[in-house]
Amino acid sequence: MNVLLDDDEELIKSSAGEFLLAEATPEVVRAAEIDPLRYAKALWDKFAGLGWLGISLPEAYGGQGLPLSYTGLVFEELGRHIAPLPVHATLVPALVIAKHASESQKQALLPSVIDGSLMLSWALQEQGGRWATDAVHMQGRMEGDHVVLNGTKHFVDNFGNADKCLVVFRMGSAGNSSLRAILVDTHSQGIQAEELVPTSKDREDLVRFENVRVPKENLVGQNMAVISDLMDYAAAFYTCLMEGAARRAMEVSVAYVNEREAFGQSIGAFQAIQHMAADMLNGVDGTQLLMREAIWHMSQGLPARVEVAQAKSFGNVKCMMVARCCQQLHGGIGFILDTDINLWYRRVASWSMRAGTTYEHRQLIASSLLDMPGKVRLGMLQTVHESTLA
Amino acid sequence: MDFAFSDDDETLRANVKAFIQEHVNDDVVREFREFREGQPRGPHLTAVYEKLRVRGWAAISWPKKYGGQGGTRIAQYLVEEEFLREAGGLRVAGGGTGAPAILASGTEAQKDAYIPGSIASQVVFCQGYSEPHCGTDLAGVRCRAMRQGDKYVINGQKIFTTNAQNASHIFLLARTDPESRRQAGLSVLLVPMNTPGITVRALWTVQSDPPAPVNTTYGEIRTNEVFFDNVEVPASCLLGEEGDGWSVAQRGLNLDRVGAWRYLISVHLDEDVVNYLKEGGEATAHLRDDAAVRNTIADLWTEGQMCRLMTMRSISIDHSGKPFVYEGAAEKVTGPEHGVRATEAISQILGPHAQLLSSSRYTLEKGVFAHNLLGAFQSAVNHGSVQVMRDQVARKALNMPRSGIKTARKTTQQDEKPS
Repeated sequence: MNVLLDDDEELIKSSAGEFLLAEATPEVVRAAEIDPLRYAKALWDKFAGLGWLGISLPEAYGGQGLPLSYTGLVFEELGRHIAPLPVHATLVPALVIAKHASESQKQALLPSVIDGSLMLSWALQEQGGRWATDAVHMQGRMEGDHVVLNGTKHFVDNFGNADKCLVVFRMGSAGNSSLRAILVDTHSQGIQAEELVPTSKDREDLVRFENVRVPKENLVGQNMAVISDLMDYAAAFYTCLMEGAARRAMEVSVAYVNEREAFGQSIGAFQAIQHMAADMLNGVDGTQLLMREAIWHMSQGLPARVEVAQAKSFGNVKCMMVARCCQQLHGGIGFILDTDINLWYRRVASWSMRAGTTYEHRQLIASSLLDMPGKVRLGMLQTVHESTLA
Repeated sequence: MDFAFSDDDETLRANVKAFIQEHVNDDVVREFREFREGQPRGPHLTAVYEKLRVRGWAAISWPKKYGGQGGTRIAQYLVEEEFLREAGGLRVAGGGTGAPAILASGTEAQKDAYIPGSIASQVVFCQGYSEPHCGTDLAGVRCRAMRQGDKYVINGQKIFTTNAQNASHIFLLARTDPESRRQAGLSVLLVPMNTPGITVRALWTVQSDPPAPVNTTYGEIRTNEVFFDNVEVPASCLLGEEGDGWSVAQRGLNLDRVGAWRYLISVHLDEDVVNYLKEGGEATAHLRDDAAVRNTIADLWTEGQMCRLMTMRSISIDHSGKPFVYEGAAEKVTGPEHGVRATEAISQILGPHAQLLSSSRYTLEKGVFAHNLLGAFQSAVNHGSVQVMRDQVARKALNMPRSGIKTARKTTQQDEKPS
């Protein structure tokens, strides 16, 4: 038991942080928002060139093979600097592929993911916007050697830029056993993408599938574990992004109130401000501990569903509180478009609603506590019925 | 990072559990509670403490030289946690005030004199910090200890001196320089409670009437006032340097604000309410199925997990030999406030039966939820109020200026690590 970072972990985190501090400046972030791509292409190439995409992907395909917890630390830094890069959209399906795909799929995909030449995306949610497998209605049917997809996916990160998208659908009746994931070429015939405008102003799409034919070799894995991992990675790494962003916004805001004077003194000397700041720090620290525990569990191959739900539900509430307090600490200038602090607020807001809301994640936690047999104890290994996940 | 206990640690935990099963019976727990309430220590309790001492579990993390095991702080935590959870709240030596500060600041003679006795639970310290006019603003201490030749003469009053009725010694913060102001001129003295001129008077806390049930999370039913009337002690009772009492006391306080006890009193009720709802059968089925209750339970549980992880952070810092910066103060905000939030939410989940105290008919779980409600908010006040703890977090972690004073910002303060 040692929840602190060791020297290797500190090194990865600080190296990623130094690079992004220099490269992902607020000017770069603002430029990406109005770029038709909605991300910074030159920065993406540099980031991939330094090998950051591959740190937790297998060495056999050009990655570094480090535990997932290292990728979590990089996401914390991507969040701190609100780097306008579709790393989350690409790595979530890439990590699923590394764990569940066939050898030939991995060989075909992972080297190009790692060198930055292949951008990915993933699609789970549908019209109702629910983060739950029983909300997946998209149908696939077999026609010879192809799966034919029909349906609509909402809130698909980075679809407009991605080369391929890992799509969750249903082969037949309801229930978890009919769920499948398949890798779809985003330029396939029958696909129509429509760009959405989230508060984060990154690329998110609504995607219609009309008789889209996908070779059956593109199916990834065969069972529910693929979908569970996809959902866990997505929620856990969004928590990292939120926590990093909220923490940096807090630091910027505290520096501001320490300089800003009113009533003849720096407003950072007022207890009303200091107590708000102390609560902000506890909010991001708590989120960080919960999410690092969840991601450490995943990197050890331990059950992590409940831990991920804890981290995301807590992070949604606390990181939004922190981001909102940052706006409050900036006063009137904070809600002027040209002031940078809103760049962080708008992203934390969007991320808090992606990959599961507070209430959705709490349902899973409550189920693990109240619907499983035996006494509960904090720190115990927590599990859920597979049926609860549907 | 590593979020699991090692195999050795888990083996230790299993051994402690087995020990508790075998040796800690109802007689031991009853005698422990009677002792806490001011009675002499009973034979069953004495026997258990002796067995603990022989096994070396009473002070695992303390140096071998003074009778400890030279083990890890994590092992110490595990032993404390199991006893608090599984042995009716029985406390084992190893944390708290007194000994850690003596290990950090004492002379060799003082370590030899106090540490082995602390391990055997023969030396027990109470905390002589707060006074009637100053608790939170501790630098305003007025209790005087005047040096006269080779002795100190103490006059003054302390308050909220919990466990003074059982303690063998008081860890006394007193003003040794009458001309001094604030932190300067304070010293720590280790004063035997049987010294002539000391009077202890009980203060009963709000959850003590009727007596709180055994598994009440917040179980401190009695505290005290202690009066000093020309109390004479030898000068050798001084801990650390004369006038350096502020930092000597601070070193002891960090370890007091964190650790198994602090965390468990704040989270035990999250577990209690979930288990109560689960085991209630038909009687609690409507609550188990209620969406608002389920949402609240998940929210509280997650916050409880956060408190557990902040405790793991503190033992990780201690274990790694790193200095505490703000983490003890931060934990002293989140833990108590979680406890308050949880007790109040649980009251609303369980409804009017949860207001019934232990002596009432028709109580839930012998009144434990009602007694917790009366106790929870105390923990947001004692050992440094959550407001003062927030001040410390803001100044030490975020480098914010001292309130009300227009000065250049201070550099980040770091508490020295007790050696």
